[in-house]
Amino acid sequence: MTSTPAAAAAPGIQRDAIRSYPGFLWKALGVATNGTWLFYGWMTLLTAIALVGANAWAVQVRDGMIVTNMSDHVSWGLYIANFTFCVGLAAGGVMMVIPAYLYDDEEMHGLVIIGEAVAVAAIIMSTLSVVVDLGRPDRFWHLIPGIGKFNWPMSMLTWDIIVLNGYLVINLHIVGYLLYMKYLGRKPNPNWYVPFVFLSIIWAISIHTVTAFLYCGLGGRPFWNTSLLAPRFLASAFVSGPAFILLVLRVLRMTTGWQWSPRPAQTLIQIIRVAMSINLLMLASELFTLFYTGSGHAAAARYLFFGSHGANGLVAWIWTAIALNLIGTVLFFQPAALERSWLRIAACLCCIVGIWIEKGMGLVIPGFIPSTLHEVVEYAPSMTEWKITTGILAFGLLVLTLLVKLIAAVELKQISQPKGSGTTEAQA
Amino acid sequence: MNNLNSMPELPILNDQPTGRRSFLKACGATLGLAAWATALRPLTEWTEDLNVDEFLQKHYRELTADQKQAVFKRLEAETKENYGADVHITDSQPIPGVQFAYALNLSICIGCRKCAEACHIENNHDRTTNNSYIRVFEMQMGGIDFEKGNATYDHPVPQPGKFYMPVQCQQCENPPCVTACPIEATWQEDDGIVVVDYNWCIGCRYCEAACPYHARRFNWEKPEIPAEEINPQQGYLSNRIRPQGVMEKCTFCLHRTREGRMPACLEACPTGARVFGNVLDPDSEIRWVIENKRTFVLKEELGTKPRFYYFFDE
Amino acid sequence: MDRESHTNSGPFLLVLAVLLVLQGCSEPIDNSVESVAANSTLEPLFATVIREPPVPHGVRAVAPNGEEVSLQCNACHSVRAHNLKSASAVDLDEFHQGMHYQHGSLTCVSCHQPDDGYSSLRLADGTSIAFFESIQLCGQCHGPQLRDYEHGAHGGMTGYWDLTRGGRERNHCLHCHDAHKPAYADFQPVAPPRDRFAPANHHAESSEAFHATSGLGDSHHE
Repeated sequence: MTSTPAAAAAPGIQRDAIRSYPGFLWKALGVATNGTWLFYGWMTLLTAIALVGANAWAVQVRDGMIVTNMSDHVSWGLYIANFTFCVGLAAGGVMMVIPAYLYDDEEMHGLVIIGEAVAVAAIIMSTLSVVVDLGRPDRFWHLIPGIGKFNWPMSMLTWDIIVLNGYLVINLHIVGYLLYMKYLGRKPNPNWYVPFVFLSIIWAISIHTVTAFLYCGLGGRPFWNTSLLAPRFLASAFVSGPAFILLVLRVLRMTTGWQWSPRPAQTLIQIIRVAMSINLLMLASELFTLFYTGSGHAAAARYLFFGSHGANGLVAWIWTAIALNLIGTVLFFQPAALERSWLRIAACLCCIVGIWIEKGMGLVIPGFIPSTLHEVVEYAPSMTEWKITTGILAFGLLVLTLLVKLIAAVELKQISQPKGSGTTEAQA
Repeated sequence: MNNLNSMPELPILNDQPTGRRSFLKACGATLGLAAWATALRPLTEWTEDLNVDEFLQKHYRELTADQKQAVFKRLEAETKENYGADVHITDSQPIPGVQFAYALNLSICIGCRKCAEACHIENNHDRTTNNSYIRVFEMQMGGIDFEKGNATYDHPVPQPGKFYMPVQCQQCENPPCVTACPIEATWQEDDGIVVVDYNWCIGCRYCEAACPYHARRFNWEKPEIPAEEINPQQGYLSNRIRPQGVMEKCTFCLHRTREGRMPACLEACPTGARVFGNVLDPDSEIRWVIENKRTFVLKEELGTKPRFYYFFDE
Repeated sequence: MDRESHTNSGPFLLVLAVLLVLQGCSEPIDNSVESVAANSTLEPLFATVIREPPVPHGVRAVAPNGEEVSLQCNACHSVRAHNLKSASAVDLDEFHQGMHYQHGSLTCVSCHQPDDGYSSLRLADGTSIAFFESIQLCGQCHGPQLRDYEHGAHGGMTGYWDLTRGGRERNHCLHCHDAHKPAYADFQPVAPPRDRFAPANHHAESSEAFHATSGLGDSHHE
């Protein structure tokens, strides 16, 4: 650094940027854990729920999956149902990225990082949902390419592992880089994140497509074995994702001083309107094909919607989902939804819960009922499964809360690179 | 000129309101960690049963002969410790020039479930669940409609107007379960048998979702078998007692059939509805059945190419 | 029952053998199908033996001194006149009482040889055969079953699929079919699977016991 200042500046900045990164993380940890009593209460509640879930999982590992209500007939249950929904949530985050980067929506640009944070939390939830579904979590290392035996490219599950982890890494990078640059008070270098943003758009679509392929690639399960599954997954993800982000934005606006115009939310609502209409259209088209032809393939749909052989455990679930989705759609189409109204919150909640059921209890479970040999064995989650799943959701919300809090702190310049060190000094 | 050696500042210590908040945070973090440790304590009770050798054990197909012997010795010792039985674990290999196939004569199957029972005993299945790789369906004459089938009938057999259809692993030539497995814990051997390495399986149950024949079973808990009922002749890839949390399936009794013997379900069949053999041998019984009977396979449209054939007498 | 066995008490297993049934030699049973070798290699093959059928060795009767005895067929039939039209035990005043006969329109002498005091069986062409060779007799009418039997596709067996490694034991027709009432009798099967959650679509008569013990709810660990 003894040559001319101009020549020294660039590498110096790079080096200092790396040097001060631990400091950034340390400060981030500090700011993310500072808050009001409401914040501590919220975090304690989430931790408590997560602890209950962790304990239930530990018992499940010790005693075996017998503590769930899954069986050889219905071999996947609430965990995989929740997994599917969370993947959708993660993919839905991209609906902020597309307007921001493909359509250069400036205001969305400022908020897009929230969508990415939601994606990170959602991916963590989906990964945990798979981990708790494993009978032998101690053998997790068998899944690590190189050390274990990775059945790629044959197994769709290996594709899912790749795309989910890839998506997590991409989003962590984008969120981390943008935040850090803001912390340093520097303009982000587009070379360092724009390619990843575009990659994340394709990747978001891939995570939910691959998750759909997980199911629709199974010829022995006619209820899933439909080419419409991946498009349906995407359409519903582009409802649940933005709806969830709308809720996060509302909480953020009410609990921090961060303000923005109503326009980004309105864009999201327009997206939801279109995506939900497409989703319902595809659902109707699917049901028509199944019920009008009345082939054996309709057996699962018959069980799901009307019950069969006196078994009707999912009927209440699916009609609740349909009702919530329809109500949510109607509410979203109200002009009031474009304003910052409670109607919008209600619409978001309806669609989120509706899609959670539609994709989980309404899609994963009926794939197994009737069984491949047409036995109607029912499934309702056990208390253990509810505890673990709720624990995972609580843990995800905990991660999301910390992330969003940190984002808001950086955004509101509550933490930044102290003057007199790092970059400023490098330029001296 | 560069202050490269300056330590990052510690916000927890330096930020206001400093002292008290940091102290409370540290307390909270400690409490939190203690709570997590308590919540996860059942894991320690579980890991008592595990050992490092098992944890680090390589995939079956990567084990050397010596390593295999060590593994078998360890498993035999564990069975002695956990179940109190002296067992012998073998490792029968596929016979060159042999491809197994099975056929079942639906005209003479009487639905006695003797095959399912024999499987239960031979393969050291969990006694509590009365598990078996074979499920026998009582079917309505006039079609092969599982919708009208019933696997839990409990009345005298054979009933008029019914026929009986045992279903087990079809040992597909194009097995969807093998494709599904993310870690190659299940694969097809040279003689056509699809096996599971019970010490490699992570228990994700994707194969169970992929199987169109309800052929796979999961060990929802540790199998329970009284020592005196344990079949001591065990194959590593077949009937040894499975650990908790892994998949299992019919292996055409490879510990028997690779030694030239009939599968247990065939020997138990009183009527001779079951025909087993080497499909590559033109003079075998199984070949005669395939060539002379009008056989069919289950769910042919799925392209799984089962090695399990069904037929009716004319 | 009223069946007599071959006169010598015999080995437990009749070594009728592969040679007879499966190997396609010129033994009397194999007269219909092309010869079937069990293995294409020229290695020596182990034998297939047919188990002795579970039939009584004679007719139960009460002797004048009140003792139960087993009588050989020709104890009576060598001294009595033959009733060639008799087709059921119902027509008889003594012996063979309670025998249920339900086997088409056959008469006793369709299968039993009157010429030697009913001590053997009688093929359609009049040839006498020993009781244990009855497979051949059955096969006169039940050709497809005999053909399947010869090809290992009918009748229970144990042992080796690979006859170069070990032998086989096979059931006799009479292990499953009573010659006088061959239809397979009803019997109670092995208990059904104990599924944690019972299928809802099985028939009502078999479902109650299972619904009582399972049903959806939290598992026993909860």
